Amino acid sequence: MTTDGTTPGGDQAEAVEAAPIDTLEDTIWAAVNRALTALDVRPERGAWDLIVHVPPADVIRALRKLKHDDELQFNYLRSLTGVDNEADGVDVVYHLYSISKNLNLTVKATLPPDDKVLETATTVWQAANWLERETAEMFGVRFNGHPDPRTLLMPEDMTDVFPLLKSHPFAEIELLQGELLGHERGAGDGE
Amino acid sequence: MSDGIFGIENTWLDAAIRIQLIVGLMTIVVMGLIYAERKILARFQQRLGPTRTGPAGLLQSLADALKLVGKEDLRPRNADPWTFELAPYLVFVPVFMSFVVVPFVVGWQVRIVELGLIYFVAVSSLSIIGWIMAGWGSDNRYAMIGGMRAAAQGISYELPLVLALISVAMVANSYDLNEIVAGQGRWPNVVWQPMVVVVFVIAGLAELNRTPFDIPVGESEVVGGPFVEYSGIRWSMFFLAEYAALFIMALIFAAVFLGGWAWPLGEEWGRWWQLALVSIKAGLFIFFVFWVRASVPRLRIDQLMSFSWKILLPLMLVQVLVNGAVLVYGGPLWILTIAGLVGIAVLVKLVGHAVSQPRPKVVVAASAEGEVAS
Amino acid sequence: MVTEPVPEFETQDLLINVGPQHPSTHGVFRMVMEIDGEVVKDVIPHIGYLHRGAEKLCENNDFRQGVGYMDRTEYLAAHNAELSYVMAVEALAELEVPARAQWIRMILCELNRLSSHFMFFGAFGVDVGVFGTPFVYAWRERETLIDLFEEISGDRMMYAYFRAGGLAWEVPPNFKERVREVLKSSRQGVKDFDGLLTENEIFIARTKNVGIISAEDAIEIGMSGPSLRASGVPLDIRKTEPYLFYDQVEFDVPLGENGDVFDRYYVRLQEMEQSMRIIEQCLDRLEDGPIMPERMPRMLRLPEGQEVYIRTEAPRGEYGVYLVSKGGNKPWRLKVRSACLSNLQALKQMSVGQYVADAIIILGSIDIVLSEVDR
Repeated sequence: MTTDGTTPGGDQAEAVEAAPIDTLEDTIWAAVNRALTALDVRPERGAWDLIVHVPPADVIRALRKLKHDDELQFNYLRSLTGVDNEADGVDVVYHLYSISKNLNLTVKATLPPDDKVLETATTVWQAANWLERETAEMFGVRFNGHPDPRTLLMPEDMTDVFPLLKSHPFAEIELLQGELLGHERGAGDGE
Repeated sequence: MSDGIFGIENTWLDAAIRIQLIVGLMTIVVMGLIYAERKILARFQQRLGPTRTGPAGLLQSLADALKLVGKEDLRPRNADPWTFELAPYLVFVPVFMSFVVVPFVVGWQVRIVELGLIYFVAVSSLSIIGWIMAGWGSDNRYAMIGGMRAAAQGISYELPLVLALISVAMVANSYDLNEIVAGQGRWPNVVWQPMVVVVFVIAGLAELNRTPFDIPVGESEVVGGPFVEYSGIRWSMFFLAEYAALFIMALIFAAVFLGGWAWPLGEEWGRWWQLALVSIKAGLFIFFVFWVRASVPRLRIDQLMSFSWKILLPLMLVQVLVNGAVLVYGGPLWILTIAGLVGIAVLVKLVGHAVSQPRPKVVVAASAEGEVAS
Repeated sequence: MVTEPVPEFETQDLLINVGPQHPSTHGVFRMVMEIDGEVVKDVIPHIGYLHRGAEKLCENNDFRQGVGYMDRTEYLAAHNAELSYVMAVEALAELEVPARAQWIRMILCELNRLSSHFMFFGAFGVDVGVFGTPFVYAWRERETLIDLFEEISGDRMMYAYFRAGGLAWEVPPNFKERVREVLKSSRQGVKDFDGLLTENEIFIARTKNVGIISAEDAIEIGMSGPSLRASGVPLDIRKTEPYLFYDQVEFDVPLGENGDVFDRYYVRLQEMEQSMRIIEQCLDRLEDGPIMPERMPRMLRLPEGQEVYIRTEAPRGEYGVYLVSKGGNKPWRLKVRSACLSNLQALKQMSVGQYVADAIIILGSIDIVLSEVDR
């Protein structure tokens, strides 16, 4: 499988020698590309939605453009979260939705593991308020300009532990749970 | 006046014995009322209520009383000791004091007081002070909120209640409860004063802090209101006072409006019939109070206050005026009946209008997009 | 230049703490309210009392075991929670779910919507002040529904019945008759609630024009579900992005006008009637067939570098599952997009300027379940 993902329901015939270039014609990539003209974005086809990778410095500008664009009107922030890719850094993922046009988009910004700083999206949608608090406390990302940077789910004094990072260990019992059900400790694919 | 009970001549001893009997009777009645409420409420809610303690759960109240007596008597450290500990008495004693004037049967009351109605109203409003003391003395914000709400509500609904009783006193031409009852041999006062009955029931519910006016003890908000810090016997005194007040209000209602022991055919058929009449009438009021509790949501404090001051009070003032006009100029009493029915129609209309009136919307205007909510 | 400080009157507003143990907060939830007399000036919610780390735990359990955690994040609408999760796994594993399993899933999800909304009525009635009666009615109705669920999956509340690819086992043979029985009693229950509360003047006086949130603000804050539709926004994922077979059944989406507490209550009442309509249509279309695809791998391994965000319409709003897989039989990242968390953000805006008693009702009308807020 290529890193561009599969083509859901698509009928593209795969060439024998090389996979065809995915033009993403059946997605909204053309409109998104036009909305984000000045920025350096890279598309990816996800299983259901289009994914757009944006460099961290430009993310907020990109989100604002997507929100105000006439053709796209992404006025609803569905979800904001992080994904820890260990050595590759932390992805901050925004899931956007346009109520009037019924369009979906995923925007990703990859932060380097030693510099997890990003500008806050609360200036674009208020929905980002609590979602960013949670991402900050779980992954150690700092959102500059956030109006209320307290912990959300974690205790107020626990600001130096970031549970959802892969480097944060499971408790002994949770590892044992996996063992009892036949998984070897540390083996990803073992049966 | 009346003969001494058991033939005792010394008036002080006679009064003391009567009071002891009353207190004992009241305690048993209150325990019965608590049981009745739990059972009736349960049937409304498709449950069974107490079934295990004693046959059909009849000993449940006794079990509760024994448990409460055995509890530790707590006092919060920062609670003002005098205020905190005296508050239950100030709620409990006035209720029992007002029992002095209630007529059960001809001659079966503690004392015949010529200003019975005035005495009843004056004494029963003393318990409001007790609520405030309980609220403030508990050193608890929820208790204070509950106490303030109780005071505001109690004072607001005191006025329609008093005016209701005064209207009836005007028609009956006396303040003595015994005479009021005796004067209803032919027609009970509900016929002449229908609107007053409605207002009395509403104001009575509010004075008793019962749903829909139970915001001081709003169980889902300020859990328990002013009583939240009390435990054991002190708390049971509040509880006892509440049900005793309900009982007394029911008896007053039966006496003043429905004819007490006198209607129908009270004097002719003797003592037991009179007792049965009073019980049935008081029971009607009590059942209605429980029924309303199971069915109706709770009013908010500002709605409650505006209802009393803006709707009930003006209506009652008009009623008193009409009463006075008819009685002074010697008109026939059925004018009062018609005026009362018109008054009820006006009341219903006003309530419907007030409810359908949309309140001014408190909308935080949609903030401009991109602005962070502070 | 030194300026003199202007002397200000210092009045202190009362800070009261509602919760975490409180009969009205529907779970362990703490609000600190700053009140001035009876008017609320500020509401600061504190959540996290029920945080159990479901997302992290799912990273250590394979795709079959994750269903149990999803149940527990939304215990009142567990079927809907499981549905999002298994749909996410199926999307990445490209499993084809047989039609019978889809119809049964639809029926169970709608039945769960009914039982969840009944729970809302019960708790909401207690908040408004009717002592106990709607609560007990709600429990009576939920009992019939939960008995049915117990016959199907063996559990009254945490079903773990959906599997990636279909269902765990076949439903009992009298499934259709049982569902029809349950529908009959639920219809009566909805009528009971309607009669008890909707036209009651005191109820209307307590709930109309209380806790209003406009459509623009609701969209901005990210609300979803009945709370959003009560403000007039016609966003129902079953209609806009249909999943299962929602595009093949007919149902309406009730909308509110004002976005106040009464609308949120009434929208849920009407939704229940629509749910019953959906269930009837599903029962008619349900046919025999397999419930799992023929070739199911014993251990589900998902391809590397895939991710999907599945969103379904749970009773409380949009329950989303964002699943990232880097190969193997365990998720790399599983994020649960919680409807209640996003809806709860609106609490402050709706409550400021209202009375204390109203703040309690507003919280009740958002219909939160803390296990979903905290996960």
